Amino acid sequence: MTSILPVFRRSIRESWRSLLGWTIGIAAVLFLYLPLYPSIGASDQMTQLIDSLPKQLVDTLGYDQIASGAGYTEATFFGLMGFLLLTIAAVLWGSSLAAAEESGRAELDLAHGIGRGQYALETALSVLIRMLWLGAFAGLVIWSLNGPAELALDPARIVGASAALVGLAFLTAGAALLAGAATGRRAWATGVGAGIAVLGYILQALAKQSSDLEWLNAVSPYSWVFRQSPLSEGVDAGGLALTWGVGLALAAASALAFRARDLRG
Amino acid sequence: MTDTIEIHALHKRYGRNVAVQQLDLRVRPGTVFGLIGPNGAGKTTTLRTLVDIIRPSSGSVRVLGDDPRHGGPGLRRRIGYVPGELHLEGRASGHRLLAFYAEVSGRAGGTASVLRTARELADRLGVDLDRPVRTLSKGNKQKVGLIQAFMHRPELLILDEPTSGLDPLVQREFLTMVREARDAGQTVLLSSHVLSEIQQTADEVAVLANGRIVADGDVASLRLGSMRRVRVRIGGTDAAAVRAAFERVPGIEGVDAAPAPGGADADGIRLSATIEGAIDPFVKALAQYDVHELTVEEPDLEESVLRLYGDSSSSAGGRS
Repeated sequence: MTSILPVFRRSIRESWRSLLGWTIGIAAVLFLYLPLYPSIGASDQMTQLIDSLPKQLVDTLGYDQIASGAGYTEATFFGLMGFLLLTIAAVLWGSSLAAAEESGRAELDLAHGIGRGQYALETALSVLIRMLWLGAFAGLVIWSLNGPAELALDPARIVGASAALVGLAFLTAGAALLAGAATGRRAWATGVGAGIAVLGYILQALAKQSSDLEWLNAVSPYSWVFRQSPLSEGVDAGGLALTWGVGLALAAASALAFRARDLRG
Repeated sequence: MTDTIEIHALHKRYGRNVAVQQLDLRVRPGTVFGLIGPNGAGKTTTLRTLVDIIRPSSGSVRVLGDDPRHGGPGLRRRIGYVPGELHLEGRASGHRLLAFYAEVSGRAGGTASVLRTARELADRLGVDLDRPVRTLSKGNKQKVGLIQAFMHRPELLILDEPTSGLDPLVQREFLTMVREARDAGQTVLLSSHVLSEIQQTADEVAVLANGRIVADGDVASLRLGSMRRVRVRIGGTDAAAVRAAFERVPGIEGVDAAPAPGGADADGIRLSATIEGAIDPFVKALAQYDVHELTVEEPDLEESVLRLYGDSSSSAGGRS
């Protein structure tokens, strides 16, 4: 009857400029960090410096494996800057549903021929596609720097690590979407999304400190995908499936929550 | 033939706040129905339930024969809606915005003709659709809001304060659009707190106060336009005698007469009152005095509603 995925297409049309900005940001980070590996990560001086630091600090930063290309890439990008950038994007984009409601746009949109569930799901799809793009782009840049920066990474594991990063970010976005769909408040969407991401990070950092706290890994999405090094050991398939599953379930739940209540005026 | 809108015992609560209570409303096909009342009377709440933006706490609502809750996108494609508070943002142009709504609400294959109608309406109302909507003034945004509701020629138009922010010339064009819609067989439900707007277009009216309908019927029978407030300054010195004389005038209320504060051009007696019904007896009574100043004004709608229906709205039942 009507055209395919109108809300999704509008969202992409309106956000491609911003997506371009995020893409450039990720490229900048990768081109800044990775080419330095031969002179920093693989140098003897760096190894001596790391050895002189407190072990807890080194573990928290994920610098214990920094002498290898895989460890270096994880410590600088997947565990740090890439995680940070994609998490921020996930929180911002995940709160777009609540933002549309707060601005009054959703009221006008939903008085037209668009279903509530459709609206939420197409918004989630737009977030997912943009996340996948950023992940794929990061993977491609890493792959292209693999040789020049002497990282010696297995290309298949780059794919796994990117899937892990995107899955983790989408779980954060899903949490933000659900909070926004349930409350209609942007502050809640942003807070819950950021809260989940930060909490996951802190829990895994604590879990590294002592074997008594290792159980915290079980509740940290960050641990699900990154505890087993995706670049040096290959991504943990179970953790990856769990992260993606929770992310998709949150997105689906946001559609149900959005259907169930009055819109705010 | 069923009515276009049938609302029965609609009740809407927000926490402990009651926005609408026991509201019954019927809008016949092909008519213009006006919903008037002061701000906060429940107009917007009522209209929003018709497009499933909010759901009733109890009571039943049927629009074009369907429950809005279950009619879904298919039902809403048959409705044009202007929200009470229109917010348009983003860098998209008016054309883009309307193309999107034409795509989701137009009939299959009819997008081109919907957009042609949109361009015609934009010319009539005088709004530039090439500009990003966020850069438009409030009045021009409102015009875009009207266009998105009218352009796909829906069977039912639900317009919440549609003329807010429009200048008088455009308001007149809008009223023409409403009449044209009715002549084309479309049904229109519009809310307003401006009485004249309703008087010029509506076949039937309901007056809302405090979440209830306090009066309904055709516009003339509601007596809303029949109240006047008068203020005069007349010659004389005996304020009590003047008051007594005017209190005998039929339909007069709240007579207040006092000596004017004085001064070379402000002596005499100041008198103020409200008059319901014919103004002629008051004019005749006034003619016996030297009239220095005379002001006759229509009170605003809020005041009329509250004065005329304030009592009945606080008692059970609510109909006058």
